[in-house]
Amino acid sequence: MLFFSYFKELVGREVTVELKNDLAIRGTLHSVDQYLNIKLENTRVVDQDKYPHMMSVRNCFIRGSVVRYVQLPPEGVDVELLHDATRREARGG
Amino acid sequence: MVAGLKEFTARVERNGVYEPVLDAENGEELMRVQPGVSIVLGNRPPESPGTLYISTKQVVWLSDVDRAKGYAVDFLSISLHAVSRDPEAYTSPCIYTQIETEDDEDESDGSDSESNGVLDLSKITEMRLVPSDPNQLDSLFEVFCECAELNPELIEEGEEEHNWIFSADQLEDEAIGDDSEWPVPQNLSNPIGQSNGDHDLARTVLELQINDQRFEDAEEMEHESDSDRH
Repeated sequence: MLFFSYFKELVGREVTVELKNDLAIRGTLHSVDQYLNIKLENTRVVDQDKYPHMMSVRNCFIRGSVVRYVQLPPEGVDVELLHDATRREARGG
Repeated sequence: MVAGLKEFTARVERNGVYEPVLDAENGEELMRVQPGVSIVLGNRPPESPGTLYISTKQVVWLSDVDRAKGYAVDFLSISLHAVSRDPEAYTSPCIYTQIETEDDEDESDGSDSESNGVLDLSKITEMRLVPSDPNQLDSLFEVFCECAELNPELIEEGEEEHNWIFSADQLEDEAIGDDSEWPVPQNLSNPIGQSNGDHDLARTVLELQINDQRFEDAEEMEHESDSDRH
């Protein structure tokens, strides 16, 4: 749940979602659900030479189970909030 | 296991119209019927005319002319779906999907799916659905999203309310007086892996907790330095 809660904070920001098949898509995080399904808007493929057919895609739905990494905007990482959350977790709630 | 694309021929006539036979006993329901849809498998030429059926479990395309011809793919196998409108990417606006196949690790460039002229559906990694009416694309996309959300990975424990967050306002509303904004999983060994099987992420959380000095308790450290001075 930590990641679901955390990704919710990033709605509206630019992220890069890297899939397990190596495709990486950059876009504005539109929404995320508990399964970490991710909807992106204003997307663009990072490696356009390798995936030219994905260039035109402007919005997409990515299944949570195929996501390898989500690259976060540095300014979207709230250290204080994470500090709090992890500390609570360490105390066992 | 992941099945990928498969043939689908089970159809039933209802009021003079053919429909795919669904697994109603297990709660499968038809969510959308879209006539006038061509299907494009991998780099093959489009097949048409046909009708698209979206159920709570799968996407089915049936040929309008050849009753023995049809394809289906479970939502569990659809990694990604999107609306594609740029004519440079594909000549017609379409729903673009990527399909997870058994041997995804092998480098396949689409040509693998065909050997000796025989099409191996289980190796198809891309499917495009081209409606004759492009105005249907957005609503089709939404139905795809809705149904994909109905099909999480099979290992599921403690179903929770489905809860999309769309705006910062919603977040603020939630945050007010809500101490559980950052819920704490009790089972630290696998905090989120159980919902999506992504152990890399789970491990990252553990490493953050255990190794990162930044997450040490600042208040306690201040107390310590205070007592040193006394």
